[in-house]
Amino acid sequence: MSFLPDRALDHLRQVTESPDFSATRYQVEEEIGRGGMGIVYRAWDSRLERRVALKVMDSGFAINQEAKLLAQLEHPGLAPVYDAGSLPDGRVYYAMRLIEGRRLDDFLRQESSLPARLRIFEKICEAVAFAHNHGVIHCDLKPQNIMVGQFGEVFVVDWGVARAIDDAAMPTAGTPPYMAPEQSRSREQPLDARTDVFALGRILQDLMPPSPPRPLAAIARKASAPDPAGRFGDVRQLAADISLFLDGLPVTAYRDTVPERLARFWRHNQVLLLLLSAYLAVKLILFFLAPALK
Amino acid sequence: MNKPLVGLIAGAILGIVDGATAWFTPAVRSEMTGILMGSCVKGMVIGILCGLIARKVHSTAVGLGVGAGFGLLFAYLVASMPQPDGQHYYLQIMLPGFVLGAITGFLTQRMGTAPARA
Amino acid sequence: MPYDSDTAMGGPHRPFPTTRHSLIDCAAGTGTLAREALESIASVYWKPAYKHVRIQWKRSNEEAKDLVQGFFAALIEQHILASFDPSKARFRTFLKACLDHFVMKLDESANRLKRGGGVTTVFDFDAAERELAGSPSVEDVFLREWQRQMFALGLQDLRELCHTHGKPLHYRIFEQYDMADAGRPSYADLAAQHHIPVTGVTNYLAWARRELRRLVLLRLRSVTSGDPECQAEMHVLFRKMT
Repeated sequence: MSFLPDRALDHLRQVTESPDFSATRYQVEEEIGRGGMGIVYRAWDSRLERRVALKVMDSGFAINQEAKLLAQLEHPGLAPVYDAGSLPDGRVYYAMRLIEGRRLDDFLRQESSLPARLRIFEKICEAVAFAHNHGVIHCDLKPQNIMVGQFGEVFVVDWGVARAIDDAAMPTAGTPPYMAPEQSRSREQPLDARTDVFALGRILQDLMPPSPPRPLAAIARKASAPDPAGRFGDVRQLAADISLFLDGLPVTAYRDTVPERLARFWRHNQVLLLLLSAYLAVKLILFFLAPALK
Repeated sequence: MNKPLVGLIAGAILGIVDGATAWFTPAVRSEMTGILMGSCVKGMVIGILCGLIARKVHSTAVGLGVGAGFGLLFAYLVASMPQPDGQHYYLQIMLPGFVLGAITGFLTQRMGTAPARA
Repeated sequence: MPYDSDTAMGGPHRPFPTTRHSLIDCAAGTGTLAREALESIASVYWKPAYKHVRIQWKRSNEEAKDLVQGFFAALIEQHILASFDPSKARFRTFLKACLDHFVMKLDESANRLKRGGGVTTVFDFDAAERELAGSPSVEDVFLREWQRQMFALGLQDLRELCHTHGKPLHYRIFEQYDMADAGRPSYADLAAQHHIPVTGVTNYLAWARRELRRLVLLRLRSVTSGDPECQAEMHVLFRKMT
């Protein structure tokens, strides 16, 4: 067996990995990402004359779970599937909308405003809650699987390990530290929406500043509680608490102290309290000045 | 609840509270019933007017200004009537009336529902 | 002879575990099948092991030869593979850890290592030693050599496949283009040289690359404990080393 130099090895690695789309309408342009379940390429659809994303998965996947799943979930936060097929080498692929944007971790490096980050988080929750409503959990939520478009639109991608809620044959895939503890226990109990709530709690912790407001920290803590029973029951409850926080209202995950309640009341009713104070002040002054005014 | 109704209720309550403080002026204590009723009606009128404007103009600053203006005007009308002791209590009536009018205007801006836009 | 992917890797003469029954399961057992399974594992890992011992452990070539042969002998005699737990680590990682442990524990002066030790795979240490000139960094040597060995064995399988199935031209064109050291010929040149149309060159190359991928993955499947590990190792195998 002759020696295989590095250059030849790299070339062979590249040519054996490159998908052969010559018999399809797609022209691969470049690789744009790779995950545990496949590689994503930017490609040109010559029939419809538009750019698409092609996700190519290895031939071990007899059924294109991810494509079927995404095709059934129509939501602004989920990239629509256009087409699916298989390659001559047995690999399967599907074509979906090409998302132009930044990954959430890149977005967080550039966006420091907490309200802006939390509004993005609310959109993530909307997309995930929609999937839960249709009986599907993502199981691999993390900043790398969330895209933020240039206009603030949010897409949850990479549904490669998504499964039906309460599916007994749950895989143990996921990405620490976003993986819920029950995911790493081999099939002791079916997973449910709270698995994604855990991951969202961890993502929320990534969004928060180093010294976050106590109510927000409490929300993140509750969402990422090790015991599913200690978390929010579903993503909607988590999103509702975030919404309350953004509106300056009390959240369910945190019990305000008395000074905090007074401070909130003051913040929400500053003008009214000032006017009432002005009225009282006027009355008191007039009362004490009454003899002088006579 | 629509905004004129909010103004009516808020104006009535504030008017009664303002009228009740007249008790601290011994010279007019004998006229408390009349003062309370008059103050209540004054407050209701101011409240309705502020509410009607709040239906058209959604601005806290405008609400405060309009309320304060109406409060001052109606307080002047009341203060210009001589009291039983023959005195005019311009400062004692107009200054609180000004502030209460502002409060009424603020409340009509913040509370109540505006009509749906066509 | 009809082409059977399950037995092709070892050649038509050598019984070979099916893709569903990995070599690792076989090698952890006893008997002839276990020995043959270990031979197949050794064929993939001996060169990475040798280069790892030479570079990472900074042993001389003689010491490295002894250690590698002793290690594979120990795999057989001490049934080390029976302790492999796929839930804890990938097989490649496990094997490297066993090798490191073996090197660490062995006192060369106290224990003379057996040469051979029951493994019949030919360890061409001289060739491996020549390849070490200009080797990559210490950190990735085991991984890089594993990648290299997997593809080298895949090429060997592809050559055998083309030979047994009457496709020598497929291999020749593939060798001339994809294995070219410097300056690949153009498709037109290859077409002219072999008196076939350019589309023929494209098709032959596509076929050969597809088959090479399949054969490499077949080898990979046999030295991993199951689909999850195979999927994970596939990404490592095809990863570009910086």
